[in-house]
Amino acid sequence: MAKKFIGERVRRNEDARLLTGQALFVDDIEIPGMLHAAFKRSDYAHARILSINVSAARDLPGVHAVYTAADMGEDWAPGPPLVSPPPSVKDVTFYSRRQAPLVKDVIRHAGETLAVVIAESRYIAEDAVDEILVEYDPLPVVSDLEKALSADSPLVHDDLESNLAAHLNQQKGDYESAKKQADVVIQRRFHLDRGAAVAMENRGIVAHWDEKAKQLTIWDTTQAPIPIRNGTASRLGLSENQVRVIAPFIGGAFGPKMMMFYPEEMLIPWVSVQLCRPIKWIEDRRENFYATTSEREQVHEVEIALTKDGHILGLKDDFLHDTGAFDPYGLTLPLNTQCHLMGPYNIPNFSSQCTAVFTNKPIVTPVRGAGRQQGIYIIERMLDISAAELSIDPTVIRKMNFIPPDAFPFNNTIVDQAFTPLILDSGNFVAVFEKAAEMIGYEKFVKEEQPRLRASGKHVGIALTPFIETTGVGPYEGARVQIETNGKVNVVTGYGTQGQGHFTMLAQIVSEQLGVAVQNVRVVTGDTAEFHWGTGTFASRGAVVMGNAVHAAASGVRKKVLKLASKVLSTPEEELELVDGVVRIADVPDRSISLGELSGLANPLRGAVDPGFEPGLESTDYFGPQSGTTASGCHGMILEVDPETMMVEIKRYVAVEDCGRVINPLIVEGQIHGGVSMGLGNAYYEKLQFDEDGQILNASLADYLIVTSREMPKKVETGHWETLSPLNQLGSKGVGEAGAIPVPALFAQALQNALFDHKFEILETPLSPNRLFELLQAS
Amino acid sequence: MNIQGEYSFHGSREEVWNIFRDPDVLIMALPGTKSLKKISENEYEGELQVHIGPIMGSFGGKLTISNEFYLESLTLTVEGNGKIGFVKGSGDVKFNPISENLTAIRYDGVIQIGGRVASVGQRLFDTVSKNMIHQGLDKLDKALQDRRKG
Repeated sequence: MAKKFIGERVRRNEDARLLTGQALFVDDIEIPGMLHAAFKRSDYAHARILSINVSAARDLPGVHAVYTAADMGEDWAPGPPLVSPPPSVKDVTFYSRRQAPLVKDVIRHAGETLAVVIAESRYIAEDAVDEILVEYDPLPVVSDLEKALSADSPLVHDDLESNLAAHLNQQKGDYESAKKQADVVIQRRFHLDRGAAVAMENRGIVAHWDEKAKQLTIWDTTQAPIPIRNGTASRLGLSENQVRVIAPFIGGAFGPKMMMFYPEEMLIPWVSVQLCRPIKWIEDRRENFYATTSEREQVHEVEIALTKDGHILGLKDDFLHDTGAFDPYGLTLPLNTQCHLMGPYNIPNFSSQCTAVFTNKPIVTPVRGAGRQQGIYIIERMLDISAAELSIDPTVIRKMNFIPPDAFPFNNTIVDQAFTPLILDSGNFVAVFEKAAEMIGYEKFVKEEQPRLRASGKHVGIALTPFIETTGVGPYEGARVQIETNGKVNVVTGYGTQGQGHFTMLAQIVSEQLGVAVQNVRVVTGDTAEFHWGTGTFASRGAVVMGNAVHAAASGVRKKVLKLASKVLSTPEEELELVDGVVRIADVPDRSISLGELSGLANPLRGAVDPGFEPGLESTDYFGPQSGTTASGCHGMILEVDPETMMVEIKRYVAVEDCGRVINPLIVEGQIHGGVSMGLGNAYYEKLQFDEDGQILNASLADYLIVTSREMPKKVETGHWETLSPLNQLGSKGVGEAGAIPVPALFAQALQNALFDHKFEILETPLSPNRLFELLQAS
Repeated sequence: MNIQGEYSFHGSREEVWNIFRDPDVLIMALPGTKSLKKISENEYEGELQVHIGPIMGSFGGKLTISNEFYLESLTLTVEGNGKIGFVKGSGDVKFNPISENLTAIRYDGVIQIGGRVASVGQRLFDTVSKNMIHQGLDKLDKALQDRRKG
């Protein structure tokens, strides 16, 4: 019986290199003659540039060049729009405004690039930046979402009539009629706020224009090397083939590195072509807070209509979404929010208007969760509030409203970020919820332990939060699989890696088809010279889209192996099996040929070949799903709050996920743990503080608190549930963002439950010990 | 952020008022002032060196005096720019005579900071600015007393 690889807890192929410092990151690149870049960034969030004087900077010894927007001449152009608004939604308003490589006249957020210095070292470059004299004419700053839409607000883009960036309206059924039938209508207003991704590695670019070879090589911490290569070639008037973009190992990305044509990405390659020298720019931490994107600020006015026994008749949510100073990423985030407002529930009537607003703050693009946590937060809070109002147990109100397991595919009709109707393809929300409840011992805790703890004065709360996650969206990815003459397998894909375990997960998929040990499958990712078709690593689509592309390519190789081996071994294909690196006859194991030898036979050096011949045992294939697939899960938490210090201790944490076919449980658990840590940050520790002048007041890790091992629960107990996706061969779904999505809602529920003896309502996130104290004082 | 406080000078109201209008005294008063030059009746230009936590650097800028009600009150407006960021603020100062030798002032204002000094120094700004103002007022008082003796 052939060994199984999919579903096994295989230790990661890539870890030995990563843990011993043998992996290549962008800052490891050292090229003779390389120069270093540093940027002059705006201190003001909104100002007109009256003049920039770079002469003192240019004169500093060791400085090779200083560029401003004026120096770029006709090469100056704003970045391209990345995502257009969905064509299938009627009445969409969208004003596209994008960031520039260097600001020409008006600065629109603090941290915008005004000039770049190229010098022998970063040290000299930064000294030169300090010598650049900018004369600013400060303009009034707009940073509050609601004030930004008032008639007398300063305009972020003065060629527009207001700060409205986009407006769209999505409807399902007829909410207004549903409301009339309701026994109870509950309204609330929620404020959600910004957090950063804070990857361990900041951004960085090395660009090397080789004037003799007429070849541009770029190393970039990007999640999307292929679009970067194509866009860069276009901007510089080069053939795509002249540009090679390599996304090497990247120390975490989480979404902001998917944002493309950051000012630095537009500028550094251009500078390299101007100077014919390799140029390196590595972002420092303070720059990262301003110059790398973040998200989550929204203001929601929500209404839920229910029957008195807790059935949801309809949901309405009109919300404002902060897009920052520019909106290159289109409507992806608000669409994700809208598509998660109904959660895993059967809500027959739904109405949601979203207004995206320009503000003088850094650009907003997806961060792990990408607008989904906001949607889940809203529906879960509304259900908790409804449960309290109707005196229904919070688990009961959820179970009665879940989409039942036999109702799939379930069409929510509204349009999602991939421009397709929101169809939930598969899932079993009730089973996942009950499993989480069982794992955390919900019944026993609520009936026995909690009353006992409360009687002894402890504030301990329990929470269960179910959620869905749209994953695995198209358009497509591709891969090439090849068996080499040494019997090892090469897998090449454009899909980059930022630590998710692709080198192992993809190997397992290949091993399953070809019977080769996982360690003998070598994976190459993120190099456009190796593979140049695909989009990028984002939206929890690796296991689905890239995984299935690799599966298809590996299956193609398997077919070729069987066909050739059948000839060589004079045996029908059905009687052959691929095990341990050989092809053998199933019942006669000593009649075999190694894959390596077979691969040699497939590439003859002499003789003639038949028409239609393809050399070697190699296959390239692509996969594009018809629509995204629905992952789901449920997290549970028991936490204790100290009602004086507001510090919390997580006693237990349970995460049940349904990501369809689990390829490697070890990797899935790693993704969950990482997601939970970001979710806890989003819930209680991380908030990007802006003042009314658009200044970030906590732009350092001393003040922006990310979760450490001390804040994490001692153990994240994971449970699996598999409802295979009918949309792809492997039956897989994404899980990259799942760990982060339900946590803010879970945390709010647990805190409310713990502080049962206080009358207060949590209608915001992120919270913090300070903020919780304020809320309790006010109650 | 808001900056408020009170301070008692050992001098008459007229003496205290004159100190406030004398750039040669003011330059001594605010810690870190490297230069202060009168450019018109109510405008001074200068450079101020600051040290807030890990941030050290100088601001070049303007100090303007306005809303003067002789011996009663005035408004100080400050606008500065430097490598470490920018600062702008405005405060009202009221003068209250207690006796020939004692005058109480009350100050009430708003300061905004931006750039590096805001991102990294914001947490400390409150304490640092209070210290700077107190040190400055102490020095002004000492200068006032020296002037009375001499």
